[in-house]
Amino acid sequence: MPDPVLQVEDLSISFTTGETTFDVVRDLSVTLDGGRTLAVVGESGSGKTITGRAIMRLLPRGAGARGRIVVAGRDMLAADERELRRARGADVAMVFQDSMSALSPYLDIGAHIAQAVRLHDPSVSRRAARARGVEMLERVGIPEPADAVRRFPHEFSGGMRQRAVIAMALVNRPALLIADEPTTALDVTVQAQILALLRELQQEYGMAMLLISHDFGVVASAADDVLVLYAGREAEYGSLRDVFEAPAHPYTAGLRAATPRLDARLDTGGERTRLRAIPGAPTSLRDAGPGCAFAPRCGLAGQVGERCVVEVPLRSRRTSGTTGGAHRAACHLDRLPSSGEIAR
Amino acid sequence: MTAYIARRMVTAVFMLLAIAFVTIALFFGASKDPARAMCGKPCPAETKAKVSAYMQTDQSVVWQYGQFVKGLVAGRTYGEGAQQVECAAPCFGYSFPNRSDVTSLIGERLPVTLSLALGAAVLCLVVGIGLGALSAIRKGGMVDRFSTGFAMFGLSVPTFLVGLLVVQVFGFMLNVLPFSGFVPFSESPVDWAWHLIGPWMVLSFILAASYVRVTRTQLLNELSAEHLVAMTARGASPRQVNRHAVRGVMVPISAMFALDVTALLGGSVIAEKVFSLHGLGDLLLSGVNESDLSIVVGVTLFSAFLIIVGNLVVDLLMPLLDPRIRRA
Ligand SMILES: Nc1ncnc2c1ncn2[C@@H]1O[C@H](COP(=O)(O)OP(=O)(O)OP(=O)(O)O)[C@@H](O)[C@H]1O
Ligand SMILES: [Mg+2]
Repeated sequence: MPDPVLQVEDLSISFTTGETTFDVVRDLSVTLDGGRTLAVVGESGSGKTITGRAIMRLLPRGAGARGRIVVAGRDMLAADERELRRARGADVAMVFQDSMSALSPYLDIGAHIAQAVRLHDPSVSRRAARARGVEMLERVGIPEPADAVRRFPHEFSGGMRQRAVIAMALVNRPALLIADEPTTALDVTVQAQILALLRELQQEYGMAMLLISHDFGVVASAADDVLVLYAGREAEYGSLRDVFEAPAHPYTAGLRAATPRLDARLDTGGERTRLRAIPGAPTSLRDAGPGCAFAPRCGLAGQVGERCVVEVPLRSRRTSGTTGGAHRAACHLDRLPSSGEIAR
Repeated sequence: MTAYIARRMVTAVFMLLAIAFVTIALFFGASKDPARAMCGKPCPAETKAKVSAYMQTDQSVVWQYGQFVKGLVAGRTYGEGAQQVECAAPCFGYSFPNRSDVTSLIGERLPVTLSLALGAAVLCLVVGIGLGALSAIRKGGMVDRFSTGFAMFGLSVPTFLVGLLVVQVFGFMLNVLPFSGFVPFSESPVDWAWHLIGPWMVLSFILAASYVRVTRTQLLNELSAEHLVAMTARGASPRQVNRHAVRGVMVPISAMFALDVTALLGGSVIAEKVFSLHGLGDLLLSGVNESDLSIVVGVTLFSAFLIIVGNLVVDLLMPLLDPRIRRA
């Protein structure tokens, strides 16, 4: 078996402001093979973006990462500046959360793509690099690509801009693509198109994809594996089927119940299923108490008792009903009761 | 592009004509009679009427304006016989108290104003961008705190106060700088600069404040801009990224600078007064004091002309710096 494209072991990320240092992400471990998609799900502030950035060593000032990150055989946390430059944009590329602000207002789309090409192969002429841009835009389905390369970011619609940044990220055929909420800003039909495009290109290039999202619907339609984050820690990790059909963490179950399903009316014979919001507000690793960070919002904490408030649950293997792959959850309960019992 | 420039030129000409009319109308209607100042004391009504006719101030505003425009194109003649004076085209008017046409008066004063303006502009650019960049790079540090205070002070303190302070401190107390006078560059470049250091400090201090602020905020924006993170994510080195950040700062700074330089070239009334420099600002002031309509109109138009040219330069320069505009 070939080595996985992405290996993360015990990744913790901390910020230092003035005298204080605090963790925003703790002890994440995942593996991702080429051709597969790992979705990272979680509420706003749970640490999805910062994790994606840590993988590229693109942390903001004052942030540091511990643990081990291996991308296409390269130890990213041990790499020096030159090695990092070689890896970024070539082995691992990123589609940013906000495509507008991730594009330079002074460069047209062609210049962006040409830059990505020439940073990794200076022998390519500017002209040839722009020609690669036209090809790439055509590949991602932008009409009249020869005109489109000369357009500036603000001259694109949201969907077209998203296609363009995907073209930009993939022009060097990275082994790993980190897509940070690639469809969040788009309307539903465009969302589906962009997801389909990503899937298609992934198959074509055989690349691994880390798909960051807070939308369970998107995850369900695109992921092979799922990592659920809560307050910077792993709540649940496993194959899509395991996590979806047999959630082992109350938070995952809650997220599912809070996600609208297009097929819901058919399933229930036309009756409307009620969406259930998870009560309470998300917290952060910094503000969480000594116990399970989800305990204050958890409908099942009462069943377990004091343990939830004083002891951080370790992530533990669950019996996998469907795929036999790794399925872990960080919950003191070994098995969740059926969905009816979860309601508070 | 050529059509665009031509269109801008035509607009500029019409704007200048309009400004000339407004200046003539305002000053002509509101001030003391210019002839009164020229006719001496005592001034019998009969003499005054003669003087008025000679200076052609006895006519209507519209007539004045027509003569002014005609003078610009074809030159102008005042009086007749032995008292006749010629004002060759382009005639900006004739100053009777100075016995000279306004065009040559402006020409005489221009070297002073030019020296003042260019030196102050360079100093302001160096200090403003330097301080602004340093405070953005070390945000919250010593330099940042100092330059924030510096900028606040510069923005809120009036020019004459800074001018008097500089004269007081460097001129009288420390006695290191001359505090008045002008030496032409051609005579002695060292003395030229030496005499201008004071006014340069004053003008650039006032101006630099806004450069510090714009540079700082703009660079801070750029340094944390997502598109630069994205550039790093594509494999760019910090050097390449920084070069890109500089561009984002240069666009607004260049626009500001072009406009400030043209404003400076129009003369700085207060700084010239404080340092007893005889530049355009001083000329304008004397024109106002002596009810010398020709000087006021001439200098005002000259400044307006510079500002319009400055705006034109900005408009032509911006597309070079910011390719987005090139497309529009
Ligand atoms: N520059 C920073 N300084 C201090 N804390 C930060 C900084 N950037 C992020 N954080 C903290 O790190 C945590 C994770 O942030 P992150 O941006 O990864 O969230 P996210 O899951 O991507 O959220 P969203 O869905 O809103 O994009 C948050 O709690 C945030 O407060
Ligand atoms: Mg995010």
